[in-house]
Amino acid sequence: MRRMRAWFLRFRNFFSGARNAEKDFAAEMQSNLQLHIDENSRRGMSAEEARRDALMRLGGVVQTEEIVRDQRSLPWLESFTQDFRFAVRMLLTNPGFTFTAVLILALGIGANTAMFSVVRAVLLRPLAYSQPDRIVRIASLWKKSGHQGQVSAPDFHDWHDQSTAFEHMAIYANYEMPISVGSGATATAEFPMTTAIASDFFECFGIAPAIGREFTADEIKVGGTGAAIVSYGFAVRNFGDPRLALGKALVADGKSLDIVGVMPPGFGFPEKTDVWLTEGIFGEETPSRSAHNYRVVGKLKDGVELAQAQTQMTAIGARLEEKYPDSNKTKSVAVTRLRDFLVSDYRLTLLVMLAAVGVVLLIACANLANMLLARAVGRTREIAIRAAIGAGRARIVRQLVTESVALALIAALVGVIVAYWGVKTMVALAPQDVPRLSEAGIDGGVLLFALVISLVASLVFGLAPALQVLRVDLNSALKQTVRRAGGGTLADRLRQGLVVAEIALSVILVAGAGLLIKSLLALQSVQLGITSERIVMAEASVPSTDLETAKRGIRFYSQLLPELRALPGVRNAAGTTMVPGYTSSNGIYFVDHLPTNFDITGPNAIFTVVTPAAFATMGIPLRAGRDFNDADAYDAPFTAIINDALARRTFPNEDPIGRMIFCGLDSMNPMKIVGVVGNVRQQGPAMEPEAEIYMPYLQHPQPAANMRVIVRTNADAGVITAAMREKMRLISPDVPAKFSTMEQALAENVAEPRFRTLLLGIFAALAVCLALAGVYGVMSYVVGQRANEIGLRMALGASPGEILRLVLRQALLLAGLGIAIGFAGAVAVTRLLTSMLFGVKTTDPVTYAEVIGIVLAAALLASYVPARRAMRVDPMVALRYE
Amino acid sequence: MGDKTDVWQGTLALMVLKTLEMLGPLHGYGIARRIEQTSGDLLSVNYGTLYPALLKLEQEGYIDSDWGVSDNNRKAKFYRLTRAGRKQLAREAREWSQATAILARFLVPGEERS
Repeated sequence: MRRMRAWFLRFRNFFSGARNAEKDFAAEMQSNLQLHIDENSRRGMSAEEARRDALMRLGGVVQTEEIVRDQRSLPWLESFTQDFRFAVRMLLTNPGFTFTAVLILALGIGANTAMFSVVRAVLLRPLAYSQPDRIVRIASLWKKSGHQGQVSAPDFHDWHDQSTAFEHMAIYANYEMPISVGSGATATAEFPMTTAIASDFFECFGIAPAIGREFTADEIKVGGTGAAIVSYGFAVRNFGDPRLALGKALVADGKSLDIVGVMPPGFGFPEKTDVWLTEGIFGEETPSRSAHNYRVVGKLKDGVELAQAQTQMTAIGARLEEKYPDSNKTKSVAVTRLRDFLVSDYRLTLLVMLAAVGVVLLIACANLANMLLARAVGRTREIAIRAAIGAGRARIVRQLVTESVALALIAALVGVIVAYWGVKTMVALAPQDVPRLSEAGIDGGVLLFALVISLVASLVFGLAPALQVLRVDLNSALKQTVRRAGGGTLADRLRQGLVVAEIALSVILVAGAGLLIKSLLALQSVQLGITSERIVMAEASVPSTDLETAKRGIRFYSQLLPELRALPGVRNAAGTTMVPGYTSSNGIYFVDHLPTNFDITGPNAIFTVVTPAAFATMGIPLRAGRDFNDADAYDAPFTAIINDALARRTFPNEDPIGRMIFCGLDSMNPMKIVGVVGNVRQQGPAMEPEAEIYMPYLQHPQPAANMRVIVRTNADAGVITAAMREKMRLISPDVPAKFSTMEQALAENVAEPRFRTLLLGIFAALAVCLALAGVYGVMSYVVGQRANEIGLRMALGASPGEILRLVLRQALLLAGLGIAIGFAGAVAVTRLLTSMLFGVKTTDPVTYAEVIGIVLAAALLASYVPARRAMRVDPMVALRYE
Repeated sequence: MGDKTDVWQGTLALMVLKTLEMLGPLHGYGIARRIEQTSGDLLSVNYGTLYPALLKLEQEGYIDSDWGVSDNNRKAKFYRLTRAGRKQLAREAREWSQATAILARFLVPGEERS
């Protein structure tokens, strides 16, 4: 304690009191002297004698002062600030060098800091709930495929009742849902993420509404009044002040619900939910064990390990498997920490990017080491003089390291600005669904990271040049007036080694970026099976609580579509439950007749409900048979249209038209296949097209209530959107709608690959630029050193062309070596990217050829300027130089 | 001064504290003289050893200092004991007398206590 206090005081004195303390000390010594003289006089000494004696006894004031001064403050810190001041002066005398060095380093540090900020926000920072490590996601686990997915309601209740490892376990389901607030002209409607919950949901997170209360048991139960809790953001958006939200009503699924609570700002689980509803308003939970319509979140009991909970749930899963083989065969339970689950999609991408940006910093360091080495050679004389007048080698090394540290600290300052901008850019470019990305920013931890990496970097690039000094031979260095011609010294080899390393590292990054670019291009050129241009989509949802309301509701579509088709600029209009990337329903199907006992492991298909003309509107080709028409009504014989994939799988070499097909979308009615259409990649471009059954909307009114309206236009999307909105309002003012274009929806499918491609592309470009600068620097140096050799050659009759070749040959040697090493490294490292690649292998020869071409061209470009300079060497000047 | 011993490292702090306890606030000159006197002029205290000790004590919070006026109207810096200083003095004095007592048993032979 006491020692800490002393250190603190000394540290404080270092900053403030030092000068005052010295004055104070001198005054005190003076006073001591005077007191002594007085006493001597009192004892009867003469004035002269008294003073002499006192002075003698006072001793060496300067020595005393020395000792005290060192103890008063921190001497090593003082000599560091001295060195630091000198270092900054040195850097200022050479602004060109300093500017370049700071720029290079700041880019490296800034990019790393920005990336770290993102990684920390998404991967490292604990969730902002109480005891976040105990919150888990509990999912169904299909043992055969390892796939984890949603949960059926009966399964959940068995898990809930039979397990003891959890303090809370809650069922929920979330979807974007039309919600309207207010009535009449002031009514506003939006499609917020909405989550239906029962009890215990908020308890899992240890979070209660900031305003108002949670749901009561009466509100939760089926047939109860129901209620809503909204997010802070939703409340502010719709009511101005969150407190005003209480007691107001919102309309969801045709029901008016009172808002009883507002969650604290920042809480939006899951997926940025704005509205939490009591699940009871949707009627009973789906009773089937094979209807996986729900998700489950839980909170582990205090002292229960994740592994223990997993063991218990696996046992429960096995019991259910035995008890309900029809539905639960091969199904188990997976317990995952919520944070790990949330970030699982982005973990690899972010870690790869962090590694890539680290490589960029490494290249920047190599560059800087090179620049400093060159400078150290130029400073040989200065350093020799310092040594000659008594500076120890350790002192000189410390001085040089301090210069590197000064450089790194300045670069860190600039780097933080780069990082601030970089984080903003990354947040803007990233896919919308990266969890917690918006929390990324520059704070204390990130600043500390920037400081640490810049100090580490300064050691990496500063040590080699500093140690180089130790090898300087004092005598010859002092005698030399200019640097000696001729290479081959250790420093030269070190510099060339660094450039080779830079080239090798950039080859790896460029190869990685190249592979990702190839994948992205491949993804974007995949034929989705639809013509996505000029399609405007409207998400609309008509109220449907039961069959009758649904039948009434879908008249909205029957009235709307003809009117839309009549609009100028509209070529066609239809409704569908499926657009690529959003499949609404899938399950097993049977042909010809219903089997007596279902084999639930049979082939699956995607179920889609469409209006007539949907295929024409989306550009899906009709291969055989006919499209649906208005005669495919609810009381007519049921019909279906299948896609190529299903026809090929189930009816190989047969004609499917006229055959019967069954599926459990909303009824097991037999449906007659009336047509075959082309395949669509329903799950996005990276996935193969799946088997699909299309059904006419009039025969499946309940699923049809959620159809999207799609319109193919000739005109501008904005104009059409306004006209569509007007038409829809005229027909049904209380149906909320959300507009987008098909191209926007598809762009979201490739948002993540595009993001990582862009990032790695930027890093690779940075790497190549830095390597370019490195090659340029070394070749300039080499040309300078060989100036008199070149002069001699020219004097002896070498043509400029030969000189050019001479220099380029040396550059090619360096580049070739770097590329060879980088090539081997890239083949090894890009394997990490395997799961991110589509349509291209990690060993794609074309990509590697292009990468080598790019890096080689860059290296030649960088050495061309120095080579040109070599060609213009004046033999007379060069020879006189020696 | 050849026959005088320089003060031993480590004991000076204790002497300073004790002196300040006995005499109250005192300036550096006075402390040095007082220690020399108390030792019967066997010790010689020079400022090169005294001041580092004073500074250390002050940094550790055992003493405090302020400018004041001496008996004969000279401006001087006075050092005084803090509350922590008193405690430290008691502790060190106890430890010291314990140590000397132990050592005494080795150096003064015979007289086995019964």
